[in-house]
Formats: sequence, structure tokens, C-alpha cells
Amino acid sequence: MNKTIGIILFVSIFAFSGQAYTEETAETIDHSGHNMDHDDHSGHNMDHDDHSGHNMDHSDHSGHDHSDHDDDHKLDEPMDHSMHHSEDDHSMHHHGDHHHHDDSHIMDHEGGMIMGQNFDELPSSCDSISEEIEITVHAGREYANKFPGTVFAFDQQEWRVKPCSKITWHFVNDDEVRHQFMMHGLPRYLYGNGMFHLESTGPRTISGTMIVPASDETYLVHCDIAQHMEKGMKGQLVVGDGGEDLTSIPGLTPYAFPDTYVAEDLPQVSVNDDEDTISEQVTEFLNDNSPITLLMFIGIILGLIIMPVISRITLLRKKEPEEST
Amino acid sequence: MPIRYFIAILAFCSLSSAAIAQTSLKLPETVKVSPEALNTEPVCDPKIAASWREEQVIDGVKIQASNRCSPDNPYLIAAAVKGTNNISMGTLMETHLSADTIIKTDDIDGDGDPDRIIIKLEVMELNGPSPDFEGLIPTFDIAPGIQPGAWVFAPKTRGMSTENFESVRANALLRLPSPVIRVEQGDIVQLVLENTHYLPHTIHLHGVDHPYAHADGHVAGGDGVPQTSEMFLMPGEKRIYEFQARQTGTMLYHCHVQTHTHLAMGLVGMIIVEENRPNNWVQTLNVGAGQVRHPSVAIQEEFDQEYDLHYHAMDKEMTEIIQKYNDPRLIARDMNRLYDITDATEDYYMLNGLSFPFTLRESIVTVEPDQKIKLRVANTASETLAMHTHGHKATITHYDGIEQNPIAQIQRDVYALAAAQRLDLTLDTTNDGLNSYGEGLWLFHDHREKGITNNGMNPGGNVSVIAYKNYLNELGLPIGQGADISKYFSEEFHARTLPIWQDLDEVGTLGAAAGQSGLDPAASTDLYNLLAGLLLGIFIYLAIVKRQMITQVASQATSKLKGSKGSTNNE
Repeated sequence: MNKTIGIILFVSIFAFSGQAYTEETAETIDHSGHNMDHDDHSGHNMDHDDHSGHNMDHSDHSGHDHSDHDDDHKLDEPMDHSMHHSEDDHSMHHHGDHHHHDDSHIMDHEGGMIMGQNFDELPSSCDSISEEIEITVHAGREYANKFPGTVFAFDQQEWRVKPCSKITWHFVNDDEVRHQFMMHGLPRYLYGNGMFHLESTGPRTISGTMIVPASDETYLVHCDIAQHMEKGMKGQLVVGDGGEDLTSIPGLTPYAFPDTYVAEDLPQVSVNDDEDTISEQVTEFLNDNSPITLLMFIGIILGLIIMPVISRITLLRKKEPEEST
Repeated sequence: MPIRYFIAILAFCSLSSAAIAQTSLKLPETVKVSPEALNTEPVCDPKIAASWREEQVIDGVKIQASNRCSPDNPYLIAAAVKGTNNISMGTLMETHLSADTIIKTDDIDGDGDPDRIIIKLEVMELNGPSPDFEGLIPTFDIAPGIQPGAWVFAPKTRGMSTENFESVRANALLRLPSPVIRVEQGDIVQLVLENTHYLPHTIHLHGVDHPYAHADGHVAGGDGVPQTSEMFLMPGEKRIYEFQARQTGTMLYHCHVQTHTHLAMGLVGMIIVEENRPNNWVQTLNVGAGQVRHPSVAIQEEFDQEYDLHYHAMDKEMTEIIQKYNDPRLIARDMNRLYDITDATEDYYMLNGLSFPFTLRESIVTVEPDQKIKLRVANTASETLAMHTHGHKATITHYDGIEQNPIAQIQRDVYALAAAQRLDLTLDTTNDGLNSYGEGLWLFHDHREKGITNNGMNPGGNVSVIAYKNYLNELGLPIGQGADISKYFSEEFHARTLPIWQDLDEVGTLGAAAGQSGLDPAASTDLYNLLAGLLLGIFIYLAIVKRQMITQVASQATSKLKGSKGSTNNE
């Protein structure tokens, strides 16, 4: 009996120390919670749309007849009010008023772009719009923090919508460089090259509306700036039950061509004595003083399990002849 | 019966040994590679519109003719001269520029040109890896099929990184070298670096008059050194480098983070400060370097043409690091800690971002007799360049942007440029036996012989041509009297699988030899030994099997001998 109690103690110590370790690492990964906060602010992001009124904000007009959108939704002169610049943007001395449009292609003088926008043309597979929704997508370096080995990311990696949904995307670029929200594989008769595309230099929001077809399909969403998708800025739009998952979406699907990792022998800080927990002290003591290695420990346990079984069997064998006689 | 077999075996052996001897006499045939088996691209890229070569005016910007295969996009030049804020949307749409890439405003000195210039640069990776497929993206070939991983400063782009959604080739703005920047003396320039790359970078203004720091600290000065003047500019961040250059000259800008690799990877370009003149709208960007199709007022006064010649070199092993991994931590590990530049050798030698034969498409210096041409030359390789001009002796007028005392200026046909050094040369095409030996197709290249190779194979490297107009066809291609150059445009040549000397004569005297058709000497010796062994084995077998017969025969013979002896004795 004493033996088993000893083992239980031993195991529990190991479990404790393991837990302590995971807690430590969890602290560094814990930004994920912080990132999630942004979702909470999505309502706040929507606020922008209220005072923009004239530009990329289509949510206000969602109840309107969309036949006259071509005139309403150009990125025109009053653009500056709609952008959400950081205060320290000293490089903007210009007063250009570029805008370009051929219905679905809109571009402004600060490099913002909306391509493949579609307010009212139904995909042939849809009889009507199933629902009108708005989705806010954040893009930036901070969203990559929760995925080691990436540098850029969207705040979410997957969006699920009903077939025939009309979606207004609010693309919030939180970085000070260009990012894109580029979707591929849409029907070409509605979307040029099958693409829906939002692009802007942050910090800034840009919005666009599109309608998805009826079929269950999974669409690639990515940033096409060199190496942004490869280094994490990739997601998928799942319509209905979706199609096949895409590869290499951070935290969601495995990499098709993963790297090979070999741990390096890096210098490590010795454990600080003052803040040692009892379990750490015990494990440290055991690590330092006990000649028992992990494998030896496993061996001991194995031995302890097997021995009784063997003795049991031998006992049974002994008994059997006794009984038989 | 056994004797019949025995004779048959003997005959077989003698015949086969004769055959072996015969085949080893003959050497293998010459094999010729058929042109149909090659992946050859057209010498001249057919996608480029012929109208791009013409002299023209776009949005009021005069653009010189460019008689070469791949001239610069004239719309891009118009945008670079006027600024993306002052051109028509139609012109902007002909480029991949973002609408805010070049902003020109405020004629502060009232001389008819803008003096506040904003230039936005991004950091782009060429020939990078993908975790989704085995190839590279976006691709940029420095020569057919040669795709070293590279980083460049690129003008701020819009839309896709590739040509279109079906292509993996980089769009025209994403290329080596980093673009040449031109500003006017006294301009208030804001160089805005938007770090779109996954590693930290900065800009160091090498040789350009810039403050170490601005008093109010609202922008950076431009020294770009993370250990002294500023922090690393991390991915997703932006920094404004502001300067007002008081001195003119040919200078450099480059990344100063881990300079030993970041500069070599391609984060280095030429920056030129032009003299302040009235109505002087300079061509702010010369993408891909080469001919300046809208030279500044001062240059136009003195010269017929102007060229930016940017020499660079890369180590193959270094460029492969970013293609080996997708994880930036592994790339940083290899780049920063495992790569040892002191053990490295350069393998790719480039002029304006390309190696021969692609240099023929866009880096030709096209001239006419009795012209004066300004050549601005920069060497950003890690070793000294020995640039050599065939048929011409040019005058060195400036070192590192500073004019050499005119009476001390020298004429040379080999020009030494230390690492990061710039020379301004005046090429005079007057046929006097000194400045020029007359019309022709005259090579100019690095005279360190490795410089004229691609990874050690010639022809390649930074070879280009000073081509007189009469020696160019309507596509701007040299009308050579030498060998056909089209085979250099095949991937196979650069993959070392095309024996180019196969076509020197009809029979292909110096073509590739086929493999051994018969037996090589060692194998035939082995075969002889085998045959001999076989025979011996048969003998031994027969000897054992027929031992009775042999002993009989032997005893008979001995008895005969004895008998005859005995009989003689007896008789």
C-alpha cells in the first residue's frame, strides 16, 4: 500500500510541474484573448459608417432601392472624412481627388480600392437574397501573435454564411501598410475574374458589398501582397455546408508543405529561487538530486504494474493444481 | 558427345571475346539536342507594346524614344515625373502604382516645379516560398529559369503582386533592382517606408545630405541604423524619412538592418540629387534603372542621353535561405546566425537587376555617332567591380557624387568601383580612335571573369552592349554577326543541360558525347576473366566426371609406355 501511495504522490508532482509549465507558456500566447476584444468593438467599428454617410458605407442604404447606387457609392472628393487616419500622418500634404469607377471598380486617391462589388445582381442559383449581414474583418500584424511562425493575419480565419447571403464587409486595416481582403472563385459572370477585393493602407476601414451563390462552397480569402498569405494572412468563407477546406490557414488547417523544426540548444535562464512554488522546488529537487530519469520512472511504473500481474498469474497457476488435486 | 559440347563452348568463347574486343574499339556517337526539346522564350518579350519605344508626350510629359526590346512603360514615366496626384486616372491605370505613391506639391521657390515630394516605398519579396505548393511566388527571373530569392524596395503598388490572377510572375513594378530615385536639390523630400515585409527594415541614405535626426522628432532623419539613430521598422509599420539635400550627385539608399545580408538581398538602390533649375520636373522613379527617358534640365543641357547602371551581385546560398523555409523564425535563424558571409562567394552578377541574356532586352546603351552620354554607375556588390567598355574610353567626371577637378579628370577603358562606390562617366561617341573606335556592337562588362557568368557559367552575368543604332533591328535587338543568341534564352542552357558548342559545325565536333554503347575496358577485362573462369570450370567438371576415363586413358598410356619400354627391354 505504501508503495502505491508513493507512486500517486510522484505522479501528481509530475502533473503539477507540467501544469506550471503550460501556465507559463499560456501567458505569452494569451494575446488571443486580447485580440478577441476586437470582435467586441465591432459595434464600435460600425460607428464609423454612421458618420461617413457618403462613401464606402452601404449599410445605411441597405433598405434603399439599389438601382441608383452607381451614383451614390463612388469614392468621391469628401473621401477624407471617411478615412480613419492616425493622427501622426504627416505625409499627407496633397489634395488630389482621384476616383475611378466602372460600376464594380472603385479607387481613391489614397490607394483604397473596392473591386467586384455587387449590391443587387443575384447569382443565377439564387431566387432571392437569404439574409443581409455585415461582417467586420480586422487585418494586421497583431492578429498573428496567437499563431507562432506567422507575421500577418486576419482577426478570424473562417466566416460562415448562408447560401445567397448579401454580405457587407467592413475591412479594418490596423497596420500602417497596405493589406487586402481578396476573395477568389466567385461566379465570373458577376465578379471580374471571379474576385471580390477590398484594399487599403491603414489605419483605415474600407467596406464593400457582395452576394454569394447558393451552392455549398468554401472560398479563399487572402492578402495578395507578396508573402502576406504565406506568412499567415489567409482565411476562408464557408457558404452553407462549405466545400473542401483550404490548406495552410493558421490554427485551422494544416500546412501542405510544413517546415521541419529542430529544437536549438539555446542558453536558458536558471529558475529564480525567490518565486519558486513548492511543486517547482520539489521537481527541481528531484531533477537535481534524484538519479531517476523520466524513462527510469516509466520503467519503474511498468515494473510495478507488471510484477503484480506476473505474481498473480503464478499464484493462479499454483492454485490451479491445488484445486485440481 | 562431350567432345562436341566442348568444341561448341570453345567456339562461343572465342567468338564473344572477339566481339568484346570489337566494341571497345569504337568511341560513343555525338548526341545533338533538338531545339524543339528546349523551353525557350522569345528573345524579345512579345507582351510589350511597340508604341512604348516611341518618343511621346503623356499628360504633358515629354518622354524620349527608347530603342530597345523592353523599354520602360511611358505611362509609368509620366506618373514618375508629374506625381501620381497630378496625372489622369487613365495614365495611372496603365501602371501598377498606387494613387498615393508619388505626391508632388508646393512650388516653394516659385521656379515652376514642385518642391515638396512624397515617395512611398514598400518592401517586397521576389521568388519567395509558399506553404501551399512547391513553386515560388511572385517569380522574377534574372535570366531564363534563374530565380534567386530577393528583397527589394518597390514603389507602392496597388492590387495583386502577380501580373494577373492566373500568373505567378511578379507584376512589372516588383523587380530587381530597387528603383532609382531622383529628386531636385533643395526639395523637401519625404521618403515613406511602408514595411510590407515580414522582417524589420530601415532606410539609410548613403551619401545624400540628410540630418541625423529632426529636432521635433516627428520624422526620421535617414541614417537608418537600428543601433544608433532609430528602432527597427517592424512588419506592418511605416516610417517617414525627411531630408532636403543641399548637394547634388549620384548616391545610394539601402536597408541598414543586418546590412551584410539585407543589402545583398537587393534592398539597395540609387538615389540621385539633380541640380535645382527652373521648370525642372525630374523623373522621380526610374523603375529597373537603365535609360532615363525624361532627364533633368541640367542633364539635357549637356548630354544627349542619360543612363543609370546599377551593378549588383548575390550569393546563391544566401538567396536560397528564404526559399527553404516558410517560418520567418527559421529564416531569421539562418540569415542572422547560421549564414557566414566570410565563407560566401557571389554567384549571380547583375546589371540593373538582370543577368545576360536578359541584359540585352533592356540594359543596352543605344547610341549614335557624335553623342555625349551620361552614365551613372553604382556598384553594390561586395567586391570591387572592374567595368570595361569595348571600343570606347569614357571620362570619369564624378566619384561618389563629387565632381573631379576638370583638369584632373581621367579617361579609362576599365573603371574600378569599390563596394558602394558610384562613378559618373561621360561616354563620347566621336570616332577619333580614343573616345570611340567607330560604330558597332561594343560589349561592356565586368572584367573580373566571374562577373560574366551566371553561377560560374559563361556567357552570363552583367554583360551588356553599347549598340550603335545601325546595328539594332526594329525591336531594338542587336543585329549580331556572331553566334545565334536565341539558345541563351532557354532554361536548359542555364540549367547546364544544353551543349551550346554542338552547332559550331555540321558534324558537331564539340557536341555532347553519348554514353558508352559497348563495354568499357574494365568491363571487357571482367568479361574475359569470366569466360576464362567458365572454361576452367568446365575443364575441372569434366576432369571430375570423367576421372575414370582419364585414369583409364592415363593408365593405358603409362602401360603402353611401360609396355613399349618393357617390350624393348624384353626384346
